[in-house]
Amino acid sequence: MGKFFKLLGLAVVVALAIALAVIAGDYGPWYFAWLVGTTMIVLIAVAGAVLYDTQEPNSNGKV
Amino acid sequence: MPLIDPSVVDLSRAQFALTALYHFLFVPLTLGMTFLLAAMETVYVITGKEIYKEMTHFWAKLFGINFAIGVATGLTMEFEFGTNWSMYSHFVGDVFGTPLAIEGLMAFFMESTFIGLMFFGWNRLSKPGHLAVTYLTALGSNLSALWILIANGFMQNPQGAAFDPVTMRMQFNSFLNLVFAPDAQAKFVHTSIAGFVAGALFVMGVSSFYILRGVHKEFAARSFRMAALFGIVSSMAVVTLGDALGRLDYLVQPTKIAAIEGLWQDSNANSSAAAAPWLLFALPNDDAQTNVAEIGIPYVLTPLITHSENTVIPGLLTLEQQAGPRIDSGIIAINALQQYGQTHDAAALATFEQHEQDMGYGFLAQEFAPNQDLTQITPANHDAIIAQTEKATIPNVFVTFWAFRIMMYLGFYFVVLFAFAAYYSLRNELETHPLVLKAALFSIPLPILACEFGWITAEAGRQPWSVYGWLPTFQAASSHPVGYMVFSLVGFALLYSCFIAAELYLMFKFGRLGPQHHDEHDVGGAAAPMFATGAADKAWQ
Repeated sequence: MGKFFKLLGLAVVVALAIALAVIAGDYGPWYFAWLVGTTMIVLIAVAGAVLYDTQEPNSNGKV
Repeated sequence: MPLIDPSVVDLSRAQFALTALYHFLFVPLTLGMTFLLAAMETVYVITGKEIYKEMTHFWAKLFGINFAIGVATGLTMEFEFGTNWSMYSHFVGDVFGTPLAIEGLMAFFMESTFIGLMFFGWNRLSKPGHLAVTYLTALGSNLSALWILIANGFMQNPQGAAFDPVTMRMQFNSFLNLVFAPDAQAKFVHTSIAGFVAGALFVMGVSSFYILRGVHKEFAARSFRMAALFGIVSSMAVVTLGDALGRLDYLVQPTKIAAIEGLWQDSNANSSAAAAPWLLFALPNDDAQTNVAEIGIPYVLTPLITHSENTVIPGLLTLEQQAGPRIDSGIIAINALQQYGQTHDAAALATFEQHEQDMGYGFLAQEFAPNQDLTQITPANHDAIIAQTEKATIPNVFVTFWAFRIMMYLGFYFVVLFAFAAYYSLRNELETHPLVLKAALFSIPLPILACEFGWITAEAGRQPWSVYGWLPTFQAASSHPVGYMVFSLVGFALLYSCFIAAELYLMFKFGRLGPQHHDEHDVGGAAAPMFATGAADKAWQ
């Protein structure tokens, strides 16, 4: 049951995100670009950190 | 005796410029570092590795110093609109007050509340709960900037309001048009992402200091990696968004874009429009209305500004001449408005409505009319007044040209610096390239400087208007005694200099100390697994 509600909650978040994207895309394309771009910038930084951790065992202490 | 003392206007401008420039020393770091903190904490929540929590803690401490002083310096400007710019507040207060009030609510309710939770909620909130708070802090900081830039967007290209001759001020007719005005949108995106660049270079520069010294290496290398990748995408975005903002300015603020490009003659004056050069260097002379010297690259200007091959860009001299008929029309509008204000005569109202779109140019001519009274313009002095007003319709070209050039050259430098930084970080070769580390360290202030020059470009380029095309800056100020203005200007300069000194002292102190509790063996350095299990707190799952 817990998983169902979790799924339902996530589905609501996705629906809201799509609605926001449609509205922002129509009326505020620059705002939409900021939302998408900022998310991408944060995720790329996060990916860089995770990549660092995977490289670390073979880096021989080099940074 | 003139109603408006030009020296009071100049002092009011100097005071606002001073307080805004001081305030904007702190804003870009706040905008950028909040999202970097959110990224670091995201890695902590995903991997459970304590080093990322330590990173979030340490950088949040430096962010906190910057935020506290930044808020203090920002407060005065909200009051300056009322004290020093009372005519402006009367004229557009109905419109301008709304985004300003929402900004106040955003800053003091959303942003400050979540910052409190972010700093003091580590042991009180679950991991995802605290992460959500950090993201909401980042969102709150940037939304505060959004509402200020919506207000500024209205000053650059008024949307969502119309002048009411009964109340003698501009009144709302569409909140949505105000919020979704292209200028407001473009300014917000460009400014916010420029803040990301400032935050990224700050983290990268301080991390370089540790790597060069050989201390906190695991901590610094991770911080450097995240900041470099955060910065490379942000710096490229700032350049492309800046280009798009320039195209928008070309459409709605032709005098600003001509001043930015040092373009006195039309772009097809010396050759075809397509071959017009983009000036790398020039020495504009505002008095002689020409460039004393210039070095340009042919065939770049027209596609860069107009995004087409042959569209002619009007030069400043042409734009001055085009303003002439609007000034005449504006004088008729102001005289009709004054008559309507006294008699409520329908014919006067009809005349005003016919010339309403040029009203701002009439206000502009008041500065040069005898006793600042448009009714005293006679056929004998008419041409001289129109000629003076025409010259006043363009901004200071030298300041606008060079403010833009410095900002833009720095923007491209950041792209190059972040590219090298990201490349060597991804290859774990930072220590063998100390030049990149030193460049990052000494470049820490440069993005903030670029933001300052960007602001100067936007505001100096908007002159002589306070609200573009509607209200000249000359008409917007309050009528204080000169002594009062000098006293408050000196007071602000001294007080804000103390704030800067305090910020620098605290930043250097805590920056040099570094992450005090960091110990590579404890926090999962080389030996730590990518996804910590046993020691990491997984209770939130």
